[in-house]
Amino acid sequence: MKTVLNEQNRRNFVAQVESMLHDKLSKCYQCGKCSAGCPVNFEMDYTPNQIIKMTELGMEDTVLNSKTIWLCVSCNTCSTRCPKGFEVTGIMDVLREIAERKGITSKTEKEVQMFHEVFLDNVKSHGRIFELELVGKYKLKTKHLFRDMFLAPKMLEKGKLKMHGETISNLNQIAKIFKDFE
Amino acid sequence: MKLAYYPGCSLKGTSFEYEVSLLKILEAMGIEVKEIPDWNCCGASAAHSINHNLAIALPARNLAIAEKDGFESVLAPCAACSNRLKNADYELKRDDILKKKITNSLEMPYDSEMSINNMLEFLIGVVGKEKIKSMVKKPLAGLKVASYYGCLLVRPPKVMQFDDPENPVTMDELVSLTGAEPVDYSYKTECCGAINSLSKPDVVMALTGKVLYDAKNHGADVVVVACPLCHSNLDVRQKEIERKYEEKIGLPILFITELLGLSFGINPKDLAIDGHMVAADRVLKKIEELSK
Ligand code: SF4
Ligand code: SF4
Repeated sequence: MKTVLNEQNRRNFVAQVESMLHDKLSKCYQCGKCSAGCPVNFEMDYTPNQIIKMTELGMEDTVLNSKTIWLCVSCNTCSTRCPKGFEVTGIMDVLREIAERKGITSKTEKEVQMFHEVFLDNVKSHGRIFELELVGKYKLKTKHLFRDMFLAPKMLEKGKLKMHGETISNLNQIAKIFKDFE
Repeated sequence: MKLAYYPGCSLKGTSFEYEVSLLKILEAMGIEVKEIPDWNCCGASAAHSINHNLAIALPARNLAIAEKDGFESVLAPCAACSNRLKNADYELKRDDILKKKITNSLEMPYDSEMSINNMLEFLIGVVGKEKIKSMVKKPLAGLKVASYYGCLLVRPPKVMQFDDPENPVTMDELVSLTGAEPVDYSYKTECCGAINSLSKPDVVMALTGKVLYDAKNHGADVVVVACPLCHSNLDVRQKEIERKYEEKIGLPILFITELLGLSFGINPKDLAIDGHMVAADRVLKKIEELSK
């Protein structure tokens, strides 16, 4: 594990995270309650409380490349239970957003990341989600063409897969939102 | 009161059963809701996962349109949508700078004066228990129902402001109104894996499996939900979970609106109950037998 020696870099990173988070990392006293209740802790490389400590220590590369930030399903169990009221779920959002902006692609969890990207592209194109197109594009991008395909016939029969999507009338406004905030 | 309806994308696609059944029961109760004109996707989990501002701006457009049209209250039956709408409203209230940026971008004001309700909140708070009780024509006495809340209805509590985040009871109360028996079990607020259904199916099956087996082991005949993501994971993935863990589950997953509809005596077909992947035939038969 790489430890951080440059104090200025550490401070910059902590300041960036805290301003996006609207919360202070020093609030966390490492009790571990967040990690104990996290439903996906068994798959993570670092527990949520470790991510918090490593962020505070300025271990930027390690947290931004962790599996944990992409495995987190934003269930909010951690934040709800934290005795200090720290935004644990929020820090996962913030670290994902920083990783995304830096163009870091997760080595092990790129499917999760790609799903979010394809999802937002779909919103940008139609203003609403067209599920069939979303799934198709996601499969092309991840090359998992056949995974879950066995579900399709029955879903079609049940009327769960619509063949046509809806596009909103004021798509210009959606384009503007993306232009201003993407 | 002028009531806005924000369906969201799932209710127009994979979870159409939810929309069909909720509109049916509202019609039966004489409650009128109007779809927000030209609504857009709330951005769901994808937006907040990688872009905070987009995650506020996308739902904000829907809220601003509803407010402009004079609605006083918004019903967002999808738990993920109601979570995102409430979250946007919360952030716009606390962050003036972001609010300015967003209302400028939308070219619409927003005053945060509407109440935003998930399905359970709407049924208990806007419709009211008395009204619902008066509609029950065919009590479901003897049916054992496990309410599954998942994450998004109750967490984070400071934003959702709804029920108890560790031990919610609202859906169980609605179940009791139908005459059915609420099942007490351990996983009612455990996460089903939600958004990662397509990208991490194995993790999702592990989480969803725990919920299903626990509900079943506590004697449930059926599980009720108020979230299309929960429904997809519990219903669509159930066969695969049975195969993976080599143990039959066979639990039909109904939306709370369908269970209410059945107790109102509405035909199951009109509630789109045949739209689920796990057939509810056995439960429907049990209801018929119990009512004899
Ligand atoms: S529960 Fe809160 S205080 Fe405890 S380790 Fe997690 S974030 Fe820190
Ligand atoms: S929000 Fe993320 S980190 Fe927190 S408990 Fe849920 S999955 Fe774990």
